[in-house]
Amino acid sequence: MAGFEILDPTVEPRRQPLTYVPRPDSLKGKRIGLVENTKYNSDKLLVRIGDILKQEYGAAETRMWRKHNSGVPAHAEIIEEAKRTVDVVVAGIGD
Amino acid sequence: MTTRISSQRYAVEDFHEALELCYSKGWTDGLPVVPPTEPAVRAMLEAVGLGPDVQVAFITNRQVAISAEKVAINAVMAGCRPEHMPVVLAAVEGISDPRWGYHGPATSTGGAGVLMIVNGPIARRLDFNCGDNLFGPGWRSNATVGRAVRLVMRNVIGTIPGRLDRGTVGHPGKYTYVIAENEAESPWTPLHAERGCRPEDSAVTVMAALGPHQFYNQLSGTAAGVLGTMCDTMRNPGMVGQPNYCVVLAGEHMRTIAADGWSKSDIRKYIFENTTSTIAHLKRTARVPGAIKAEDETATRPLVLTPDDILVVAAGGRAGSFSCYIPGWASRTTSQAVTTVIKERRP
Repeated sequence: MAGFEILDPTVEPRRQPLTYVPRPDSLKGKRIGLVENTKYNSDKLLVRIGDILKQEYGAAETRMWRKHNSGVPAHAEIIEEAKRTVDVVVAGIGD
Repeated sequence: MTTRISSQRYAVEDFHEALELCYSKGWTDGLPVVPPTEPAVRAMLEAVGLGPDVQVAFITNRQVAISAEKVAINAVMAGCRPEHMPVVLAAVEGISDPRWGYHGPATSTGGAGVLMIVNGPIARRLDFNCGDNLFGPGWRSNATVGRAVRLVMRNVIGTIPGRLDRGTVGHPGKYTYVIAENEAESPWTPLHAERGCRPEDSAVTVMAALGPHQFYNQLSGTAAGVLGTMCDTMRNPGMVGQPNYCVVLAGEHMRTIAADGWSKSDIRKYIFENTTSTIAHLKRTARVPGAIKAEDETATRPLVLTPDDILVVAAGGRAGSFSCYIPGWASRTTSQAVTTVIKERRP
């Protein structure tokens, strides 16, 4: 068989700029947002984390949002409310 | 619409070098692939009348646009013929539908495969297997269409096992998981017609699915007897709160159930009512958290939210007292089965 060419089946994902805001030097007096991903015990874990941030790091308050499900990003309402009402957000997989 | 194929090209000396290149690049599912040459890819595109750059789907959370060209390349690699391309495209559209919720089932430790059920005239014309050895090897259409979708997931969307596909145990259906409904012998309304398509349409239903669970009933001559056996094994879920179950009823069971005059709706209702578990049982077997309360002994939980969440399909060999059920993956809020009409030609 003579030489031939084959085609690349892959693609590169679109690149999105992603920048983090600076981490606060201290959590003292900060309002903490907790984003719960609907999995078993993720709410309990986040409540515990929130309590530690208040008791040991001086955070002022916590509030929690619940995502639609664990397979999707936090929905727009969460993002908008978080921007308005908290200084720091804790999110992660609870499983 | 451009006709230019824009994918990067690799020059190879022969078939062996092409195959090894595909392996070394990580483009295969572990099995050998057909080298995707431009003529073969063009034949795929021409079969559906799509330009290479046409976007057929978009996976939001991966920010990946899936072009007709990339689907065609992966379909060639999987061993599809051009006439399979419409089915592959429809399945790719299905898994890209927000209701299917790509990220969850594709990525989860739960290890779902993409169960594809093909209905309508195209299933017969392309000889999709709906009979003996239903989930087994031996039929090109079943083997290559499901494989093409999995290669699109891997190569285009980046769903690579061990990286973005974190299935803990997975299952063999992640190579390919395609069946057709035996519409010729089924006494019932075909699945796609129940799900909003016209009976004369061809359609593919995609469901995020765990492996098939076979059950056996050679003793009963009644619908309730056959389905009672199935429900007894089915009610102990591997997970709790699945969005869908697919029930695949093969020849002997199909005829027994139909002889009692049961419709698919009757079957769904029976299964729904006979697969509940008590909350106490689910807690006792560590499927639901919490201490068991007195009321948990009588409070029950259904397997799925509504009878309509059970997909009933007539398929499998004519002989043998076996049928199966297939649990869906995760929950109704994370993934639902989606039925997509197969368009033979695009604009």
